[in-house]
Amino acid sequence: MNPTAGLSKSRLLVTVLMLVAGAFMIVPFLWMISTSFQSASEVFSRWLPSKLDWSNHKRIWTGNYNFVPYYMNSLKVSLISTAGAVFLSAFAAYGFARVEFKGRNTLFLVYLSMMMIPPQVIFVPKFIMFNWMNIYNTHWALILPGMFSIFGVFMLRQFFMGVPREITESAFLDGAGHFKIFFRLILPLAKPALATFAIIDFSWHWNDYENALVFLTSPKLYTIPLGLQNFILENNVDYNGMMAASSAAIVPMIAIFLLGQKYIIQGIASSAVKG
Amino acid sequence: MRKSKWWMASMSVVLTAGLLAGCGSNGDAKEGGASSPSGSSESSGNSGSSGSKTKLTLWGAVPAEAGPQAVIDAWNSENPDIEVEYLRYVNDDGGNLKLDTALMTGQDADLFISYSLTRLQKRVDAGVALDLSAKADYDIDAQMGPDAALWKIDGKYYGMPTKKNMSFIWLNKQMLDDAGLPVPPLDWTWDDLKAYAVKLKKDNVYGLLQHDSSYTATLDGTIAGLGDTNAEGKSNFNNELWKSHLQTLHDMMFVDKSTPEYGEQLTSKMPVDTMFLKGEAAMLSAGEFIFRNANNLAEFPHDFQIAFATVPRVTADQKDFKYPGGLGDALSVNAKSKNQDAAWKFAKWYADGGMLPMASGGRLPSSKSVSSDEAIKLLLQGVENMYDVDSLNKVVFGSFESFQLSIPQQVIDARKEEYEKYFLNKQDLDTTLANMAKRHEEFIK
Amino acid sequence: MKRHSWMRKQQWAGYAFILPNMVGILLFFIIPALFSFGLMFTNYQFANPNVSFTGLDNLKRMFQDDQFYRAIKHTGIFLLSVPVSLVLAFLVALVLNRSVYLKGLLRGMFFLPYISSGVAVAFVWMLLFQPSHGPINEALRWIGIASPPGWFADSDTAMYAIDIVQVWFMLGYNMIIYLAALQEVSAEQMEAATIDGAGKGTITWKIVWPLVSPTTFLLLVTGLIMTMKSFAIIQAITQGGPSGSTTILSLYVYKTAFSYYEMGYASTVSWFLFAVILVITIVQWIGQKRWVHY
Repeated sequence: MNPTAGLSKSRLLVTVLMLVAGAFMIVPFLWMISTSFQSASEVFSRWLPSKLDWSNHKRIWTGNYNFVPYYMNSLKVSLISTAGAVFLSAFAAYGFARVEFKGRNTLFLVYLSMMMIPPQVIFVPKFIMFNWMNIYNTHWALILPGMFSIFGVFMLRQFFMGVPREITESAFLDGAGHFKIFFRLILPLAKPALATFAIIDFSWHWNDYENALVFLTSPKLYTIPLGLQNFILENNVDYNGMMAASSAAIVPMIAIFLLGQKYIIQGIASSAVKG
Repeated sequence: MRKSKWWMASMSVVLTAGLLAGCGSNGDAKEGGASSPSGSSESSGNSGSSGSKTKLTLWGAVPAEAGPQAVIDAWNSENPDIEVEYLRYVNDDGGNLKLDTALMTGQDADLFISYSLTRLQKRVDAGVALDLSAKADYDIDAQMGPDAALWKIDGKYYGMPTKKNMSFIWLNKQMLDDAGLPVPPLDWTWDDLKAYAVKLKKDNVYGLLQHDSSYTATLDGTIAGLGDTNAEGKSNFNNELWKSHLQTLHDMMFVDKSTPEYGEQLTSKMPVDTMFLKGEAAMLSAGEFIFRNANNLAEFPHDFQIAFATVPRVTADQKDFKYPGGLGDALSVNAKSKNQDAAWKFAKWYADGGMLPMASGGRLPSSKSVSSDEAIKLLLQGVENMYDVDSLNKVVFGSFESFQLSIPQQVIDARKEEYEKYFLNKQDLDTTLANMAKRHEEFIK
Repeated sequence: MKRHSWMRKQQWAGYAFILPNMVGILLFFIIPALFSFGLMFTNYQFANPNVSFTGLDNLKRMFQDDQFYRAIKHTGIFLLSVPVSLVLAFLVALVLNRSVYLKGLLRGMFFLPYISSGVAVAFVWMLLFQPSHGPINEALRWIGIASPPGWFADSDTAMYAIDIVQVWFMLGYNMIIYLAALQEVSAEQMEAATIDGAGKGTITWKIVWPLVSPTTFLLLVTGLIMTMKSFAIIQAITQGGPSGSTTILSLYVYKTAFSYYEMGYASTVSWFLFAVILVITIVQWIGQKRWVHY
């Protein structure tokens, strides 16, 4: 259990085994990178490019395929949605986890049940509503609904319930209100959960294709998943360009993951609980 | 310390997001609002009549750089008072949904191109396609010829079929010559093709490859001749011609091994056009869109000549086989558009030659106002000697009795499921045909 | 469960905490859902202004629809991936939480599938499962299986191949949520158990597993819901084929709504899907008292 005890053999063995398994996990990622450096006639016929062809990477940043605006739009939509979703979900999750009010469980089940409706069938009413709210074909059509995550409420509720009650109870007896407990105690304690939810929620917004497809029509508003559609030609697909763009698109995701990971690791286990 | 770091991080995320929101808010402004870019170009462009400029949006499925951009650039420089913007949608379920949603709001979609009769039918049902046969200043029948009538819905034109559709067998002339085979005659049959494929296949060369979009060309052409249903209103899907054709394909896969097994083609994601151009197949069944890659010798180098053959009939005595092709790219005016006159003006211009820049990608205009020589010149510029001229003229520029597929998507999908079972050896041929007919009848009930 | 009376004080605060979120849920979920409930009783075709009330026709049609029953069966097979992926993810999270070097790198590698391009995922799995010369079947032949399955090229095995991809895909997602949960398990609890002489297996199943049970509950409930709803992987790899053998209920809804534009019927099938998930969820909700420890 002691991490400082030098190199242990069993640990090394497990690491190697996990690396082999991990390699299996990243094959599609490697294929994506490899294809982005191939020329059009090489796709599907070989694993590695015959020579490094940078032209695909160049053309996604210039000319017709210019990805810069898509990138900015995606960043804007995903960051605002995620930030909103994390705060709003944490807020509601606290209500469900730490306040016993009338009808709490029923209300929570209503919440959960809304997660069960296939998005395809509520798309028409949403479209009518957005048109009426005057947000059809604006980024708000993605951001506003994106700030409400039922999954987030559920996930954070579970984690808040895992925070030992004694901690919050003593604070309550000391005269702190729910809001103070939420901001001062629960939020800092739930960092790993908040960061995890942020990572996952961001990935959903970042890759959201269906909503963007239907609710955005002006190309200047397009997000990356819509931009990738440019590579679907009439009767075939420009896989080289698509994979070059996909490689670029995954970079912010990885950055968010690395950033969030820090908060996942330095959890409450060693620090705050007993302190 | 930890706490403050955490808050710093989350605050910075919110701030960045806020900044980006600020930057993007210009882009959010809806049309008609004070969005600066269009406003400034308007005042500098034609200072005399500010505000009289009409903006139109044209929706099509061809990637902008494959011609449409050049088309609207030409229009915009000729017509400073009507500015057209091209919006590309992908012609799949999602893309069509996007277009139909936009059409419902009546803005940002003044003109649109439909690529199949069933899609156009839905738009007519939704009341978003203008009746163009009511227009006195353009006679679609006279301009576009007899094949245009296949695009009529309830006797009216809701879209102008602007392009010649083509589907045929692409042949590697070099391989034909090596095998001592002549370019096949126009009235050849699937038995002939099967014999060709056996002779042409080699170790790493398939006799025949079929592109997805042409896989059912013979089935469709046959049923178009027979009619979907017979006199008693029963499905015609269990006809002998289909049976014979499916049997032929099955034999080619499993007996001759001259065409890929169905499961193999599905799971290898075979890029059939690239394979043909690389010399890994002697024959390819596909549409005119292959021209774009075939003409691109830099990215798809090949040194053989390409010859053409028609899509074969099932039997030599098959009477009313219809050839895949006819006309396509039906251009419609949105009935909810506020600028219908301007849109109609553009539509006429587009059909009567405006669309020529797309010819190099294989889109030949259907209007008789366009000289076909000019279109052909654009199509074959610089690569004339890569094609077998005789068969090119007879097949690609020949004229054949044609059809437009009007079978509903549900029935097409059901049919596909059934023939897939046959090609995957899960179901025998008679059951397959019986099931196709049964499911067809269930739908029309 | 011990009663904590303080949690029942200031009940108004509960509503205050939930209100902001409730507004959004009402607007973007509940109201559209009610609208779609109404569509069930119509023949609404997308974009078509002619709508008429058809009563229970859609329901009748659904219960006579062979493709509907087939889709239910495929959905059942698809759901098998949820528990498998959960258990695997728990084990991986345990290992990556403590007993390896290069934790950060490994976590990234296992999470990568979840954020990879769907096109790349589809293509690589097609190649791996390629029946005649794909690496998986080569390996199977090498260990003596003469005629390995056709995977995606065979309508009898395609759905199970999809399950394998789905387990692989969801592994990283479940793993990082478990990782977050493991941070709540304190080192003291673990050490105390070690001193008491408990073996690694005992610690895992007697201490750690119960401690992360709220997370398992979360992942099980939402996993079943999301798996029932999602078909992105299937759409990318097989599009529901070959011969409809991977068309699950949600993909059937999608096709009915967006390819055939039959919104009324699509709503009916969706609400059936809804009812099934709701029952499953309520059963889990009641059952959680037996094994979830908060």
